[in-house]
Amino acid sequence: MDNTILKVKDLKVHFFTRHGVVKAVDGDSFDMRRGESLCLVGESGCGKTTVALSVLRLLDSPPGKIMGGEILYGGDDLLKCPDDRLRQIRGNKIAMIFQDPQSSLNPVFTVGDQIAEQLKLHLKLGHREAMEKSLRLMEQVGIPRAAERINDYPHQFSGGMRQRVMIAAALSCNPEILIADEPTTALDTTVKAQIMDIFRDLKREKNMSILFITHDMGTVAGFADRIVVMYGGRIVETGSALDIFDHPTHPYTRGLLNCLPSVSAIRDRLTPIPGAIPSLINPPKGCVFDPRCECRLPLCATVRPEEVVASGDHTVACHQCAPSVVGEGHKPS
Amino acid sequence: MKKGGLQGYVIRRLLYAILIAWGVATCTFILLRVGPISPADKYLANMSARTADPSQVVAAVEARYGLDKPLYVQYFDWLSNLARGDWGWSFSTSMPVMELIQKHWIYSFQLILLSMLFSAILGILIGIYSAVKPYTKTDYLATFFSFIGISVPNFWLGIMLILVFSVQLGWFKTYYDTGLTLFSLANLKALVLPVITLGTGAMAGYTRYVRSAMLENLRKEFVRTARAKGLPERVVIGKHVFRNAILPIITIIMFDLSGVVFGGAYLTEIIFGIPGLGRISFNAVFASDYPVVITITLIGALIVLLTNLATDIVYTRLDPRIRYD
Repeated sequence: MDNTILKVKDLKVHFFTRHGVVKAVDGDSFDMRRGESLCLVGESGCGKTTVALSVLRLLDSPPGKIMGGEILYGGDDLLKCPDDRLRQIRGNKIAMIFQDPQSSLNPVFTVGDQIAEQLKLHLKLGHREAMEKSLRLMEQVGIPRAAERINDYPHQFSGGMRQRVMIAAALSCNPEILIADEPTTALDTTVKAQIMDIFRDLKREKNMSILFITHDMGTVAGFADRIVVMYGGRIVETGSALDIFDHPTHPYTRGLLNCLPSVSAIRDRLTPIPGAIPSLINPPKGCVFDPRCECRLPLCATVRPEEVVASGDHTVACHQCAPSVVGEGHKPS
Repeated sequence: MKKGGLQGYVIRRLLYAILIAWGVATCTFILLRVGPISPADKYLANMSARTADPSQVVAAVEARYGLDKPLYVQYFDWLSNLARGDWGWSFSTSMPVMELIQKHWIYSFQLILLSMLFSAILGILIGIYSAVKPYTKTDYLATFFSFIGISVPNFWLGIMLILVFSVQLGWFKTYYDTGLTLFSLANLKALVLPVITLGTGAMAGYTRYVRSAMLENLRKEFVRTARAKGLPERVVIGKHVFRNAILPIITIIMFDLSGVVFGGAYLTEIIFGIPGLGRISFNAVFASDYPVVITITLIGALIVLLTNLATDIVYTRLDPRIRYD
């Protein structure tokens, strides 16, 4: 049985800027399965938010433009379906939460209004019913004294509470897929842990399919079922959480994990990845990670690596792992 | 918000308003009364044909209106009368100032109200359209015409409109007919040219302000949230963006009501012969009829103060982040 709920195929997104064309997402493909939490990981600017926004066609255009590919959900290609159809899916079947809850909420409407908005739109609830449901949603995401706070405005809430409001709004129509774009990045560490608890509950109790975007490997650990690692607009490694954490194969993934502080491993200092992310206006001709890679091969500079299966579900885009190369250079551990 | 906070604020603002109004009245009084011309001279000029001894008439007139007393006595007499609700006597029209104003305010009111509606509604609609379709031909066209609208002086526009639409085409009368019933269709037709004359500059300005406020808010992240909810673009723009963009526009419109429109209404009333406060004030200046000038200036000042206060109160309703206490 095909368990795939969302299929991204060869997605290409370019940004047309004054300095040139930025190839923010350059031919990426991945599947998302029903009920799984899929984490999209990578540094700032690697294109992960662009991928997330493309799913609901929310990119600002101009400057962003989807140049090609397909995003299949149900029977629709989300990149090509009519606007009406897309609006029935947005917020209703696929909901989204953003990084900064302060600017993502409209400052001049009460939180109750903003949660109820989708209920009125998609479920055709009347005002009173929608507000009652909003109140229950606020309680569900752990907003204390929700009945008193439902008519408050976003600026009267703390950052963590605002993000709870965003989550309540996103969950209101019981979507099949929840896209969370760095939902904890703007929050304090303790608040971050509380918000992550909500996501864990959603996964456990509602079996919701969650596309979780973050730059923080620490947040991913213990939450992700599967992980997609992005670098410079391309997917470099995809695999189960176990594959990625225990057998990181792409040199970039290994670099990312070396940056994590660890309690168990005795390490004098964290190892940063040398260099900086390349300009995506003129990306390296071959592998995007080539300029920073510690175990590059001569062919890395000229030939773009294809995705190869490392084991089962685990795929890597690295020449080191390609069958023709293995044995020639030093195989990554 | 605590109710007491806003009430206290309003009371404080009203007290300031009284203080400022007093300052305005005093300044106007001094400026008009220290001038070289006595109101009695003008009065005399009108009567001169019938009198043998001008100095006798001047003395009689001055005694009649208390103009022979020292200036500070006149000032305090005037203030205490004002406090008792006596706004003074208009020399040039021979009636109490209040009566004069009661007869004429409605002409200014309808002109200003209609031009405000004209400029606000058109300005906001064109502004929104320009912002939603930026850098298109329509947007450039709107930009072009709004710069013309802002640059053209309204007295010139008024004269041109009369020349083209009244004199050449004969669509409208060249003067305002005071015999028409207020707010009747014929009266509205008679006000078309004056309203365009008075409203065009402000309308062109609002177009620009609304466009930039809408563009600024269209870039905000809550717009993306609204779209992610599946809301149709009409609701995203009309509710989420517009509700934020309109906040600064309200200040500008209210400010215009008191400032630009009040000033422009003078000229427009004179060009079209509308007997409003602007026109009687204009006549009063030339007749040295200082009680009328002072009263209308004072009314203008009070309108400025009260609209500013009203703007601030409206703001607390529209923008929940603003609090006064």
